[in-house]
Amino acid sequence: MGDDVDEFNALLTGVGGEGVLLTSVVISRAANIEGHEVRGTQLHGLAQRGGSIPTHVRFGRHVRSPVIRRGDADLLMALEPLESARYAYFASKGKTNIVIDDYQVMPAYAKSVGQKYPSMDRIAGMLKPFAKSMTIIPASNITSKELGNPVFGNMMCVGAAISMGFLPLKKGSIEKAIRQTVPRGMKENLKAFRMGLDYRG
Amino acid sequence: MENPELVEKSGKRVVLLGNEAIARGAAEAGMGLCACYPGTPSSEVGLSLADMAKKVGFYFEWSTNEKVAAEVAAAASFSGVKSMTAMKHFGLNVASDSFLPLAYTGVRGGLVAVVADDPLGHSSAQSEQDTRFYARMGNFPVLEPANAQECKDFTIKAFELSKRYEIPVILRTTTMVSHSIGTVKLGRIRKPVTKGRFVKDPSRYNNLRPNLQNLHYKVLDKMAKLEGEGAKLDRVEGPTNAKIGIIANGVSYNYVKESGARGARIAKLNMTNPISREFISRFLKGLKTAIVVEELEPFIESFVREVALEANPGVKVHGKDVFPRVGEFSPEIVEAGLARLKVPGVRPKDFRKHDSDMKKIKLPARKPVFCPGCPHQFTFKAVKNAMGKDTVWSGDIGCYSIGIFEPYNMIDWVISMGASQGMAHGIKKVSNQKVVAFIGDSTFFHAGMSGLANIIYNKSDPLIIVMDNSITAMTGHQPHPGTGFNAMWEQTTPIRIEDVVKALGVKHVAVINPMNQKSMEAKVREFSRKKGPAVIVSRCMCQLLRKRLIRAGMITKEGKLKSKRKPVRHSGLTGGRESHSG
Repeated sequence: MGDDVDEFNALLTGVGGEGVLLTSVVISRAANIEGHEVRGTQLHGLAQRGGSIPTHVRFGRHVRSPVIRRGDADLLMALEPLESARYAYFASKGKTNIVIDDYQVMPAYAKSVGQKYPSMDRIAGMLKPFAKSMTIIPASNITSKELGNPVFGNMMCVGAAISMGFLPLKKGSIEKAIRQTVPRGMKENLKAFRMGLDYRG
Repeated sequence: MENPELVEKSGKRVVLLGNEAIARGAAEAGMGLCACYPGTPSSEVGLSLADMAKKVGFYFEWSTNEKVAAEVAAAASFSGVKSMTAMKHFGLNVASDSFLPLAYTGVRGGLVAVVADDPLGHSSAQSEQDTRFYARMGNFPVLEPANAQECKDFTIKAFELSKRYEIPVILRTTTMVSHSIGTVKLGRIRKPVTKGRFVKDPSRYNNLRPNLQNLHYKVLDKMAKLEGEGAKLDRVEGPTNAKIGIIANGVSYNYVKESGARGARIAKLNMTNPISREFISRFLKGLKTAIVVEELEPFIESFVREVALEANPGVKVHGKDVFPRVGEFSPEIVEAGLARLKVPGVRPKDFRKHDSDMKKIKLPARKPVFCPGCPHQFTFKAVKNAMGKDTVWSGDIGCYSIGIFEPYNMIDWVISMGASQGMAHGIKKVSNQKVVAFIGDSTFFHAGMSGLANIIYNKSDPLIIVMDNSITAMTGHQPHPGTGFNAMWEQTTPIRIEDVVKALGVKHVAVINPMNQKSMEAKVREFSRKKGPAVIVSRCMCQLLRKRLIRAGMITKEGKLKSKRKPVRHSGLTGGRESHSG
């Protein structure tokens, strides 16, 4: 068990409060359930407050370092559109599948000085040279409608990534990891995850 | 229990944060007492141990500062109890006055000090200091783990060495070790021994001369013996006939491993003080090139150069000539350095197009801002309205340090914990400028009180604003002497800051909720005209804490403590911790 993957690199990004770290815990635990050797980062700095959060999750036989090399992400999952393009450094055309939740969070400071939020098309244009594929999902909006809270968008994105073959983990391992990680709100998180599995753009 | 995997059964494979793995290691080593003051990147060591304390049966406390914490842990170890303290690198600056003598006196039960360095300053303002120099100055052995598994294993090893050699051992991490996750195979948690007895022993504890010199000889002797332990802990891999040798420590070792380097001999240094002369000497034999890969200062490098003079004068030693001394390493930095030295197998890809495409990405920045509803922003607004922009703002360390950024610009310096007081006084002694000193509640208890006593004693009159959000917020909501409960969830008598200030002799003292902007502004205006020091305690609970306590059923919406409180964790600002509870 666990020796079927040499190296898989997932970069999960978003804004503080969207559950980026929760997502990384679920994915890393699911990888552990399947017997993979896991590495990654969970940085907490000043950037935490309303700030941009990049977390690395890596698993496989050859993985040693906690951080992904430039252009080496297999999956870039962004729970907020700006936070996809901000970390294009880790993505590349030959390798990276990009999944974006289109739920926008305008940076407080940028707003106060009159900056505008770029259109989704512009963000997609900036990311194009770094993407093998790009999938934009209104995940938080859907879970907001269906489950009453945009915060479950993260699990829906994970489900979608698995159904599209962008995350080499089994459905059952993710479900087990969700049960372990979020005893409170477990039902909604599992539902959101399954909605992601069924999602067809 | 925040992360139930911390107390999982022996033999299980789990994913832990480096800091969590250290906590687990302490439990597996049978630690009986831990005392800490929180400081990121070390904070989760204490947070995890606070969680585990009741379940495993050891004693844990949040002390008022790192010096006190080190003293508590030292005395427990004097009494035969395995003890630990954990701090960030600057914490050791605070603790050093008490910590350094412990090498001479030695310890009995084992004493491990976890010290987390923060190259790049992910969560630190002051400097990129390198803890290993304290170890060299004070004669302490240092173990450096490279991943979460080693965080656990080396903690156990550190306790073992500390007890056997009766010397405190430093477990040094960096941010990328403390805050990286990794697979950890768990061992058995040992039942902690929490009670001991202090046995008087002047030959050990009397450190006045002439015994001082005896103790000095003793510690040098211990360190010489510990070199042998280092040789056993350090690892070598790769072909014995290699011409290139790479020496790496901590997280850098991982970057070397993934660099593609082929045909080189690699030494992983697990003990970086003292470094085994014999180990390095053996490693250098036959090499043409030796490359030292370490973050921050050329600590290992300078030793390798010294040993090379005798062991292999022909070897060319590289280190800080190709790797930066500033900031944090990345896989790319290590790869580039090794490529410059033509290490076989290291071939960086061409990223010119990648980089030029990156330059085209322009996005609105996310600068650090106060959390929604944070009382600090209201304090800053009111004080600025009342005092005007040209006031000198003496800053301190806590969430309110964010006031250094736009649109506030109300922190003119961040020097160290408690420094707002002494610095405000110094300005007042040489200048007629208006001075306001900002200090947080936890920082006040940590190192602010002595600075305030100095202001009163040596007669100056800055306006002091204590920004009291009723918790140590920035590092994840740790309680302190003012909060009314401790790390073990026992109720305590809260020490009220206004009482302390009055007892020190401050005549003008007021407590105001900053949400009430008008009265805050008026009080600031009134107090700024007073002769003699004046203190305003700007009191309003951290809003994230408030939400969490309401959700946990510990307080009412009005902020009243409920009588029956269930002991739940409420650590929080640090997202990783929060995420475990959803």
